[in-house]
Amino acid sequence: MTKDILFYALSALAIWSGWRVFRVDSMIRATFALMVSFIAVGGIALLMSADYIGVATVFMMAVEMMVMGLFMVMFMMNPAGLNPMQMVHQYRFSIGAGIAAFVGLTVAILTTPLPDNPLPPGGDTLRDLGFELLGNSMLIFETAGVTLLATMVGAVVLSSASGRFGSAGQGSVPPGLTAGGPPAGRTAEDGKGHGGHAGHGMSMQKKPAMQAHDDHGKGH
Amino acid sequence: MTLLTVLGMLVFLCTSVWLAVALDTACRGWISGQGADRADGPLRTAALWLTQQRLTTEAPDRMNALLSIAGYMALALTGLALVPLGPDTALIALPTSVVLWGACEALVVVVVFLHGWSPNAPLAMIGAYRYVAIGLPIMLLSMFVLIAAALPAQSLDLRDIVTSQADVWNLIRQPLGLPLFLLLGLSLTLRGPFDYADSADLAGGTSVEASGPDRLGWQIARLAMLTEFSAMAATVFLGGYLGPVLPGPLWIALKTLLVMTLVIGLSHLAARMPVSRMMSLIWMILLPLSFADLIWAGLVAL
Amino acid sequence: MTLTAILIVAAALFGIGLFGALSQKSFVMLMMGLELMLNGTLLATVGFWAYSLGGLPKGQLLAILIMAVMAVELAIGFALVVAVYRKRQADVIESIKTLKN
Repeated sequence: MTKDILFYALSALAIWSGWRVFRVDSMIRATFALMVSFIAVGGIALLMSADYIGVATVFMMAVEMMVMGLFMVMFMMNPAGLNPMQMVHQYRFSIGAGIAAFVGLTVAILTTPLPDNPLPPGGDTLRDLGFELLGNSMLIFETAGVTLLATMVGAVVLSSASGRFGSAGQGSVPPGLTAGGPPAGRTAEDGKGHGGHAGHGMSMQKKPAMQAHDDHGKGH
Repeated sequence: MTLLTVLGMLVFLCTSVWLAVALDTACRGWISGQGADRADGPLRTAALWLTQQRLTTEAPDRMNALLSIAGYMALALTGLALVPLGPDTALIALPTSVVLWGACEALVVVVVFLHGWSPNAPLAMIGAYRYVAIGLPIMLLSMFVLIAAALPAQSLDLRDIVTSQADVWNLIRQPLGLPLFLLLGLSLTLRGPFDYADSADLAGGTSVEASGPDRLGWQIARLAMLTEFSAMAATVFLGGYLGPVLPGPLWIALKTLLVMTLVIGLSHLAARMPVSRMMSLIWMILLPLSFADLIWAGLVAL
Repeated sequence: MTLTAILIVAAALFGIGLFGALSQKSFVMLMMGLELMLNGTLLATVGFWAYSLGGLPKGQLLAILIMAVMAVELAIGFALVVAVYRKRQADVIESIKTLKN
């Protein structure tokens, strides 16, 4: 009984916070609403005696959403949502697609005869998982590990400024607004501070660095 | 019985918060050479904050400000409930309690960031950003240390980790563990060399705009987290409730206070480095050290 | 708490995620939609493991793999966002009409 109440409460929390992600103005609120949704799903997994997966979801998502929050603040024009702003497109179509997905899946779930073979009570799911990961399915598990390693390498290659197009300094000079034009963004000589504010969403920390690179470019 | 345990833990929490404040004041007086503060100094400050008017900035994120303080406190209490007080006595009995504590650590980074984000002020925001940059890798490091500690127990349950130390404490079995873990404690409680969030060079960092009851709540939550961290370190590395003659809960209380003294001493005696240098230190030296700790633990377990 | 209820909750999370991924202009918000869809998938996987596999540990393995997919998606997604921003100063989907350059 308690389990049922907890399950419905956590499900409601997961769905409500998942919905809030796309309805709140503040990007930080959106990010952490998503985190709450993940934590609620982790709680449901704990109720289903997936001890490791439930708790691991919480810590993985806490870290991931923290990083996501930082990127939100860096890349959005309006991270705190203090100015009203339209940030959606194909709105009706998306609502339709979302509802269609939900209704279609629900109909499929309700009409399919689902297998009923629950967990045997009293089993040690944690021990099972450990032996599975480092026993029969070790190759699969290791593949996931190697994939993560490849991801790390790929992420560094993609996001680091230096590469085959030049050094870190050159790589981070913004491209021109017209082909072959001067770099976009703030230039050094306008001096008034907020002149050509082309680089919307540029973070505060980035501006001085760009200015320095512009100076450097003129020196050549 | 459970109710009694909860009450006992709360009493202990209040006592150790009080002791932490006293130790902090004493350390500050000793280092600055101005002698000890008045004994009721901290109480006066607390009363002042409690009665002070709450000042707000322009367009603050009020909900997140409250959530961050409440969340920090809740994480400290959750962690404390995980600490085993006897062979089968832990308020939250979970076979993956070490992982749950890791989740609490990760969420601390989130709440401290929220605390710096919510006032909509530059210094607080800088503090929050700096804290995330340092707090995440330090947390990563602590995960390896905790896995190493769980290795000889062959379990992710804190109760088994304590029982596995019946012969020899993890402190001796894994000499690198506790020093690395203490760094995490400094970071979790925003103290001394790892105080990148609330430090004096940012005029108080994430709590620069906090005033009145908010400020009091945040400081109390920090001290509660200090108690919680000390109890966890004592459990994982100093054998928890194990000890001769005295009853188990008393042993864990004593060990907690010992670790707390150590952390407070470190936070006053060690210097803070610039963020970039600290980043290189963490990624290039401390993280490999934690790998070494893990390998060491594995070899010993073999 | 039945398998049907769990799967319906998972479907709701998936639907909301799909709506978000399709409707949001910003890259980062789009990724949040994808994450929410994966959240629903994770819930469905754990549900199936708990209620219809009779405790076969392969179900938990699949859940772990879904978590790995989330991490990969996030890391590569952010790396691409940074790379596109460097190249074109773009942070919304509309600024990318072509994959060239």
